[in-house]
Amino acid sequence: MSSEQSFTIDLFHCCVKKILEISDKYQDGWSLQLKDGIASAYITKKSRCTLEDPDKKLPLVIVTFDYHVVYHPSYCVPVLAFNVWKQDGTFLALEEFWKYNHHFRNSNMFDTLTQLDHPVLQRPFLTLHPCRTKEIIEPFLEHSKNPVISWLSTVGHFVYLDLLQEYLKSC
Amino acid sequence: MSSSKLEFLPISSSIDPSFWNKLYEIKLNVDKLNETHHSIWGYFSNINNKSNVPLLEVNSTSFNKDFESQKIYIPFHGKVLNWRSPRKTITVEFIFILSFADLKKFNFYYWFAFPVPYNLSITCNSVKNISDDFNINQLEEFWDKYCELDKFQKPYFLLQIKDELVNIFPLKSQVANLDENNHVDYYFGFYDLSLLENCPGSLLRNYITFILHHCPFLQGRSVNFLSLRLKRNSDSNLSLLNSLIFKLELPSCLPSISKLINEDPQKGWVGWEKNERGKMGPRLSNMKSFMDPKELAESSVDLNLKLMKWRLLSNIDLEKIKQTKFLLLGSGTLGCSVARIILGWGARHISFVDNSTVSYSNPVRQSLFTFEDSKYAKPKSLAAADNLRNIFPGVKSSSFQLTIPMPGHSIGESMLEEVKKDVDMLVNLIQEHDIIFLLMDSRESRWLPTVLGTYFNKIVINAALGFDSYLVMRHGVRIDMEEVKVRQHTPGFKSLKGNYLGCYFCNDVTAPGNSMKDRTLDQQCTVTRPGVSAIAGALSAELAISILQHKEGAKAPAFFKIGNVVDTEKELDNQCVLGLIPHSIRGYLSTFSQVLPATERYNMCVACSDVVQNAFDQDRFNFLLKVFQNSEYLEIITGLSELTKEAENIGVWEFSDEEEIECVSYEYSKLDLSASSSVEGNKSRGEIVVEDFSYNQNKTILQDHKALIMEEIDQSGATTSKN
Repeated sequence: MSSEQSFTIDLFHCCVKKILEISDKYQDGWSLQLKDGIASAYITKKSRCTLEDPDKKLPLVIVTFDYHVVYHPSYCVPVLAFNVWKQDGTFLALEEFWKYNHHFRNSNMFDTLTQLDHPVLQRPFLTLHPCRTKEIIEPFLEHSKNPVISWLSTVGHFVYLDLLQEYLKSC
Repeated sequence: MSSSKLEFLPISSSIDPSFWNKLYEIKLNVDKLNETHHSIWGYFSNINNKSNVPLLEVNSTSFNKDFESQKIYIPFHGKVLNWRSPRKTITVEFIFILSFADLKKFNFYYWFAFPVPYNLSITCNSVKNISDDFNINQLEEFWDKYCELDKFQKPYFLLQIKDELVNIFPLKSQVANLDENNHVDYYFGFYDLSLLENCPGSLLRNYITFILHHCPFLQGRSVNFLSLRLKRNSDSNLSLLNSLIFKLELPSCLPSISKLINEDPQKGWVGWEKNERGKMGPRLSNMKSFMDPKELAESSVDLNLKLMKWRLLSNIDLEKIKQTKFLLLGSGTLGCSVARIILGWGARHISFVDNSTVSYSNPVRQSLFTFEDSKYAKPKSLAAADNLRNIFPGVKSSSFQLTIPMPGHSIGESMLEEVKKDVDMLVNLIQEHDIIFLLMDSRESRWLPTVLGTYFNKIVINAALGFDSYLVMRHGVRIDMEEVKVRQHTPGFKSLKGNYLGCYFCNDVTAPGNSMKDRTLDQQCTVTRPGVSAIAGALSAELAISILQHKEGAKAPAFFKIGNVVDTEKELDNQCVLGLIPHSIRGYLSTFSQVLPATERYNMCVACSDVVQNAFDQDRFNFLLKVFQNSEYLEIITGLSELTKEAENIGVWEFSDEEEIECVSYEYSKLDLSASSSVEGNKSRGEIVVEDFSYNQNKTILQDHKALIMEEIDQSGATTSKN
């Protein structure tokens, strides 16, 4: 990535602001988090669904996803971090999540979805690997008005995050 | 649709992990042993819920005084009661949670109740879609006005169409204005929790109870209820298009609703949530692995290693490392370094042995100690084990204060019992552990553990330091001795099986004596460049891990000829998942270089040869005692003294640079001490250094290397004193 193309934190804030605007208008549930002030601002959203094991070995489970879109200062990209928990508040571990998610059944699942410390909260979260993010987001830097939305719409559905059509209109 | 009894859909609980964190904190710091009610907020929304179960969320902010949340949530008020012990009682709220927190085990027993009156039976006369009564414009108006309602008015409200216009009234203010005549103009609106058609959420019963209490004239009458249900249209906007209108017949309950409900005190209210097995009973949430810091540390450490497995080394056996018992003989600079590296590899069983205490000079070099340890002269093994647990509580570290008896350190009558105790302890420790690290600061203290390690066929890793040089090696094992000794691989590759490799003493022509005697002060303490121990410690640990990962374990072959171009990916069918495994690693900090020599077992070795092993097998402590009293005893039984005599006759004896081991056919007879075979033996034990990875075969390295060996022997004070 050349320097003029790099993904800055200002660009991230700009993109995220737009997401919040659209979310508020359509009651989509994204909210702004300002734990350590404006510089480390990030957005979160919760959604619930039923997970089904494609092999039918595990029982159906109703889970809550807690999505975080955060800027990662070391990788200089936004990351999609999330936690998944069952109704009693216990988390699904990375390996358990893999079992339920048929998208990660190929050989490179380890490179795609991993567990990393949240850049702001410094607690472990399931995370789409930032190395991959860089590959995906790079083309959007030139061609999209909101690379964060374009990237989320590309990768989100792998982890059950759906974006309303309205977001894509602002890209 | 004909009239039928109305069915209700119960609501389910969904607990955010942060709720348990908060409850834990409250129990620990506020409630302590009191059984106190706490008001809580529940959050409800059907937006972003793709399951078909209505879920009520509680989280850490549930304990806040005010309900603050995003627009999409509908507030629920309730109480949580924290028991001192698990039991049961009933109170009426919109939500009620009984909980019992076992703080030690991070177990939370809990039982949600969404109380509703049991006796209330409702007849449904008809169900229709909202668009039957409302046109498009009215629906939009309805939605706009609904959105403007205060969040507390959103769950229940009154609705009226007047002159084609939609009016929404807060329930609280408008309910008093209803009477027998005007109520037909109103819809009783409520945010329906249910996602199933024809089946409203169970809390509608509370709404009806409320209505019957305030408007008793509605008893037995048919009333319009508007079940508000949100739907996201294709244009992303939320709409009310899925909402329903229920025409319900309210029951007669003379004289009053409260009388009806409390008719049977045992059955007044129902609504306890079923547990995960579908039975009436509390649920259990075990949060130990998510809240206990020790568990969190363990799982994070494990995950780090698993990522290595998942991403790079799919065949690595991490469980094996976890199960392996490591014994560290010596808890100084090397011991500390080795412990830290194997801890990083996920080792869980680490035992430290040492006989000294932490001194003021130690902490700066010995990475497990602090100034405090030296202030109180804490025993090194104990300080190392304690501090290792402080670093990672998941490790089972133990410590043993023990002086390892040494050859040539004669023992007085009074000490005999103690020495015997020490020997027994060491024998037990070596038997109980899988990998033995020799990390002491003297040569002769390595003798007994070497003998025992060989005797019990353990993996033995040895590390020794010079001022700016180091030797890290594994000892050969005596198993399956009939195997082929040297393997010829594809051109350029040769390896010597692990059961043919020598031990630390195989290079020696003398028995280890008392190297502490007649030494100047600087020779007695370890004078080394500070980095040497860290390098050698790390290499020792990595060597041990590689051996563990090899399918043949200690029998893993040592590659000693690997060609000019090293392509370890290819061909080396006998390497482990981490690569090939050398016999020994000799490094020189003065040139920042390293070589990987392999040496065959020496048939006159003072530690691992048949004669010594047999002598130990037969006489055990009595044999050891003879050696402790006089180390020359070893030279006599192995034939080394004989050999030395001959060598003196020959004059100078030389290593050959070109020397390489012969293949297969090569054998020497056991215990053959005749003159001719000793010359053979001499040849056979020539070092098989051939190449290191960065240099081509190079005489200077070999010469340096030879010099190092001699220097080492000099340092140990063995050879020189002999001459």
